[in-house]
Amino acid sequence: MSVQLLDRELDRLEGLWSDGLSETYGSYLDAVGHFDPEMQPKLALAAALIEAGVRLQGLGGRAAPPTTLLIGDLCLARGSRLLADNAPLAVQVAFARAIETASSAAAAGQPAPALRQLLRQSLGATR
Amino acid sequence: MSHRLDFVTTHATEFVDLTDRIRDEVRRAGLRNGRVHMQSLHTTLGLAINENEPLLLHDFESLLDRLAPAGAGYEHDDFARRFEVPLDEPANGHAHCRQLLLSAFATLMVEEGDLVLGRWQSMFAVELDGPRQRQVALQLDGEFARSDEQVSLEALVELELARQLMVDPEPVASPMRRLVGAGGKRLRPKLVQLTAGIGPRSDPLRAAELAAAVELLHNATLIHDDYVDESTHRRGRPTVAAAEGPERAIAVGDYYFAKATRLIAQIGNGGVTSALAEALEAVCASQIDDVAMRGSYPGDRDSYMRVIRGKTASLFAAACESGALLSGAAPDVVDALGRFGVLLGTAFQMADDMVDFSPSSGKPVGLDIRQRVLSLPLIYAAEDRVVGPEVRRLLAGALGDAEVGRVAELVTASGALPRVRQEAKGLIDAAVRELDAVELDGLRPALAGLALSAVDRIS
Repeated sequence: MSVQLLDRELDRLEGLWSDGLSETYGSYLDAVGHFDPEMQPKLALAAALIEAGVRLQGLGGRAAPPTTLLIGDLCLARGSRLLADNAPLAVQVAFARAIETASSAAAAGQPAPALRQLLRQSLGATR
Repeated sequence: MSHRLDFVTTHATEFVDLTDRIRDEVRRAGLRNGRVHMQSLHTTLGLAINENEPLLLHDFESLLDRLAPAGAGYEHDDFARRFEVPLDEPANGHAHCRQLLLSAFATLMVEEGDLVLGRWQSMFAVELDGPRQRQVALQLDGEFARSDEQVSLEALVELELARQLMVDPEPVASPMRRLVGAGGKRLRPKLVQLTAGIGPRSDPLRAAELAAAVELLHNATLIHDDYVDESTHRRGRPTVAAAEGPERAIAVGDYYFAKATRLIAQIGNGGVTSALAEALEAVCASQIDDVAMRGSYPGDRDSYMRVIRGKTASLFAAACESGALLSGAAPDVVDALGRFGVLLGTAFQMADDMVDFSPSSGKPVGLDIRQRVLSLPLIYAAEDRVVGPEVRRLLAGALGDAEVGRVAELVTASGALPRVRQEAKGLIDAAVRELDAVELDGLRPALAGLALSAVDRIS
């Protein structure tokens, strides 16, 4: 991923990159190969931010302290904006549905679904 | 037309001035000539019309205390002689007796869209056994002057919200239904709907879908904010975090964040999706700044403006832009509406800050101070040459009831509130001027009226 893209998209979230976000990002790269090369890093980063955001918030587990929740919220919002600007509609919808699935399970006290798997599937959504 | 006024009291005996809120209900309902009937829904909450003068209210409190003193051997407090007494039953015979001296009902007349009240008259709910969460029922009847179009636009959003909340899983839908059902001004959806009528592709149904999604998005952010701010009540009802715990609040906020973004995406207009996604990111980033600023509370005006630009004004601007984009409005119109939204949102936040110092708002005075929420009146009072040193000294320490009350007094005594009021009105004027330079297909009066109504709490 280009340094410029990283600088821009990790504003306020720089610490997360060395704290596991880079590995999470890497785990999505093979799921974005079917997109234009220019889009691939943005969509992998969007998925990584959403996964990291949900984890930071403590969704499905113990609630994060307020300041950590806000960082998680920013991760979700930035991931969502990256999708809005770069992903096909079907992928945007699939990502939203993945978060709906995870959060409704958490609200109902049910076991959390494997979010990474849901998000990887979302990157392949075509309709 | 029926409604409920929810509010929270903070003292055992308290006179809550409901006049401005009732006036708002009359305006919102469009009641031109008729009556507002009010009924206390509690046996230890009375209603009274009298003068809102602090010393006089203290006289009333003393009078009630003399007529029915607490702990004066009321049979109602002899729990051993009563049946099925709840474990948390308070000894409040005095409060019931005091209520008998007041009334549980009141009717105010309305003429030409305003309450008929004498110069010194205010409408009070009188708390006799607080602190508690309270409700007053309202019924408005008479001649309403709303256009069919206005009614139908609002009804479309309410229907769409109800429809969306009907299909969601109950653990997330139920708390959101309570929050949405508790009211709110619906300013953001109104902005979407109005601006969606400007361009050549105006479609009220699609506009209502977008408007409802924007309202859900806004409410999702509020649910997380309430957890962060440790707020116990919103719109007179317990917050999701307070009622169901932070874990549920995080899940409900996430669900409606995701659902709202999905509904927005499914509308199928890339410009709309991007505008709202950018706004949401600005809201979240500014919320972090807001919390960070609490370390140097109350902060300064420049920091305040930067935070509320993202936290409040960005979603107002995106609501205006997205409605216009949906309708296919020209780029210069979209840009002008975006600037209008920024100015309006900023003025709205300033007006909202002032509510914290108004005894008639239905919210306990000083709640923002207690929670160290960013507030322009507080910033100005802290900078004031006379009261500033004491304000800063109090804010630097622990904020109990006495300190919060004293800070509120100092802010009110300083010139901070008129200064903020003037500034907010100036922003509304500037917002309305943004509308002058573009073609709005006759919608300028409606948008200007909405802008004025957004800050009329401080007029």
